Amino acid sequence: MITKILHTLEALQIPVWAVEETVKESAEAFFIRKRLDLKRKTNTQDITVRLFRPMEKDGKAVLGTFTVPIRPGLTDAELEHTLAEAWSRTTVAWNPAYELYHGPKGSLQHSTSGFANASLEENLRAAADTIFGADTRENAFLNTVEIFANRTVQRVLNSSGTDVSWETMDVQGEYVTQCLAPADVETYHTFRLREPDWDTLRREVEEALTQTVDRASAAVPPKAGTYNVILSGDEVREVLTYYLYRASSNMVYQKYSRWSVGDKVQGEDIEGDAVSITLTSADPYDGEGIPLQDRPLMESGVLRTIHGGARFAYYLGIEPTGSYSVMQVPSGSVSLADMKKQPSLHVVSFSDFQMDDFTGHFGGEIRLAYLNDGETVRPVTGGSINGSILDAQKHLVFSQERYRAANYDGPLAVSIQGVAVAGAAE
Amino acid sequence: MKVQDSPWLQENKPFFQKLLAELLKQFPYASLLAQDGQQAAYSVNRRLSNLSASGLFADRGCVVKVSDGAHWTEYSFNRTGEDLLPSILEEIKAAAAMSSQLMPEHTTEPEYPIPQEEETVFSGSTDYEVDPLSVGDDVVLGKLTALRDQVLAKDERILDCSVRISWTRLSKLFLSPKKDLTQNVLWAEGGLTVMASRGEEVKSAHESVSCLGGLELLDQLEGHADSVTRTALDLLQAEAITPGTYDCICTPAVTGMIVHEAFGHGVEMDMFVKKRALAEQYVGKPVASPLITMRDSASAAAQTGSYFFDDEGTMAKDTVIIKDGILQTGISDWQSAMVLGTEPTGNGRRQSFRRKAYTRMTNTWFEPGKDKLEDMIASIEHGYLLEQPSSGMEDPKNWGIQCMVDVAREIENGKLTGRIYNPIVLTGYVPDLLKSISMVSEETVLSGSGMCGKGWKEWVKVSDGGPYIKAKIRLG
Repeated sequence: MITKILHTLEALQIPVWAVEETVKESAEAFFIRKRLDLKRKTNTQDITVRLFRPMEKDGKAVLGTFTVPIRPGLTDAELEHTLAEAWSRTTVAWNPAYELYHGPKGSLQHSTSGFANASLEENLRAAADTIFGADTRENAFLNTVEIFANRTVQRVLNSSGTDVSWETMDVQGEYVTQCLAPADVETYHTFRLREPDWDTLRREVEEALTQTVDRASAAVPPKAGTYNVILSGDEVREVLTYYLYRASSNMVYQKYSRWSVGDKVQGEDIEGDAVSITLTSADPYDGEGIPLQDRPLMESGVLRTIHGGARFAYYLGIEPTGSYSVMQVPSGSVSLADMKKQPSLHVVSFSDFQMDDFTGHFGGEIRLAYLNDGETVRPVTGGSINGSILDAQKHLVFSQERYRAANYDGPLAVSIQGVAVAGAAE
Repeated sequence: MKVQDSPWLQENKPFFQKLLAELLKQFPYASLLAQDGQQAAYSVNRRLSNLSASGLFADRGCVVKVSDGAHWTEYSFNRTGEDLLPSILEEIKAAAAMSSQLMPEHTTEPEYPIPQEEETVFSGSTDYEVDPLSVGDDVVLGKLTALRDQVLAKDERILDCSVRISWTRLSKLFLSPKKDLTQNVLWAEGGLTVMASRGEEVKSAHESVSCLGGLELLDQLEGHADSVTRTALDLLQAEAITPGTYDCICTPAVTGMIVHEAFGHGVEMDMFVKKRALAEQYVGKPVASPLITMRDSASAAAQTGSYFFDDEGTMAKDTVIIKDGILQTGISDWQSAMVLGTEPTGNGRRQSFRRKAYTRMTNTWFEPGKDKLEDMIASIEHGYLLEQPSSGMEDPKNWGIQCMVDVAREIENGKLTGRIYNPIVLTGYVPDLLKSISMVSEETVLSGSGMCGKGWKEWVKVSDGGPYIKAKIRLG
């Protein structure tokens, strides 16, 4: 189909274009308790074509754009009709002109993941064995498990010469853990593995079961007030996405972010840990075919890179770095055990923890937290936290212990002072 | 006017029928769902404009569900044609045989009976006033651009104004031994967002519109320009709220989020099957104020969650979930109903042919009451008017509430003071909140501009809403 598309683009004399193809296979299993309720396989091919029409508006060079999906199995005539119609629709929505990424040509880069050595069914089974293998407690158990073993091949081509393709193997899913007494409660967890790191997955499931038991005995919310809040795991990454997204060329070009390289974006006179972040990727290219190499995003609180794709880089006159989602962060200065010795609220489970990249506010409802009131430590549930990175960022303290997920490799925990908590008996 | 059939579904129907016939030679039961979606999305802001026919629902493909007499298997694909039939059949056969490869020790595969179906042939299309394909792209983008310029000219403190509109035509074909169903649904949605900055903070206000129909929606955004701009500028003076429990009035949009997130997910009966929903124990018991009646229906409301049949071939129904504060029933997909011994309610929905079906909401709302908004505001000594829901998360097992709203307007001695607070997190225990509802306004408004996920995935189009309600809510 790609060859047919390229021939048709040439025949229609379309000068600027980009094509993305994704071919995906998956094996999927849906367990309820210890029963395989449904099994699935998928096999799909998706192609999207973006067309660009160089034009002039008010004496300035612009590109008209239109994006269209190309269905598998179109006949030659149908394909020509689809692309010709799409081309005719490129005159309406236009933006300042830019150059598509002049990327490399290369053959398919096969996945080097350990998952590539096995079939999708075998990868799924190994994940299922690991997850159910951790389900050994008497007072908590797996309620539901969904596992997706995927193989994806992506190809990106454009009229500036880019033609790259790469294979991704992963296993992802979700599981719900339940505890029946003293209260009937559950906690919800997701995972995504790019390598068969079964020890980590098993440990996470075991921790999830422990947290669910603790939630069952967490009867009340914390009292309303201001706390030294400790966040851990995925919530640490979520806090740091403020820096990731504020440093994107998209945000900077549109003036939603005023940041520039060299800015002390964590503020002056940092009293906690200065934030350093390296952008990295498990994929060799981004969706525009831009090679993804490790880059410093921040060093000791100072912005080093405005990152993003070809379009906004061109507008800003900077190098296109590609689009990243993985952050690597050095370990912090304090052990988690020492953090927890101080009076604090260590929230280990939220219903949905969110960082608002535009305002810097973060918050969420507490599903399980450990409250150290200076004398005892007890589990609490309910209430919410509502903080601002702008208020907190000079005093962030990261843990020495580390946490690794598909999109993060960094400190396991962060301590944030003075966070407002809505709770009981205010 | 009625939405037209999908030519692709019509042309390929003989192939789908042949595939089903071949499957029924190998399996005691098989069904097939094919979909063909078409979309166009238009957007402009201060610096950028965009037009795209690509999107989540601009998707075409097929999912087959088979039973070997006891166990279910699905296969999703989007490459079709007579020449591919043998390989598709082989793939389905292989998928049905993979249970032993996937199952760890001590796990089993439950046995489901062969479904008993009634003979049903159906074809239906929704109505529209303005055919999206009859309106030029330049007309649509021209209107959006004019509205953007109008807002940007209002105040120099406005950082940006983003305006968007999109339409989706989604056609589906469901075939099984006794069913031959076709539907064509068209909906449109749009939004207006105004942004203003306060130092590093970028505050935004938004309003959305949606309809079951076409680009007759195009003119509805303009009426919101003044109020959205005013709210965005008000937010520049927003303060942090003092956490506490307050008398609150929720706008219909915030009511809708409470309906959907706080209670709706909890009555999805696939959660009953998994013993993940507290609601199962409360059927027939009071869960809300006697002022509250709640419904979910893909057929009884005309909004973005509407359809004629669900993705398992069950015709859409009108389900009264709460009647006068008493929980009546949940909503259900077909497979869950089979386990529970109940009637499916036509709520088995897939994100697309690529995903499995779960119990999902459609159009979900609280019925209107008898109070007037001005009386509701006047009844509050100290509290807030909550506006602009932004997100929410379900907790069906424990009925915890997490809903985020962008605007809380202070009410003192029965009057809005002009003071504004942001951002706001609503928390609490669902029945406590619903039982505290003491006033309900006279008109229900449904909004369908958002998407609904299950956990963190499985996005489907829904609408939700209700009247203004007065309740006691914990804010933080």
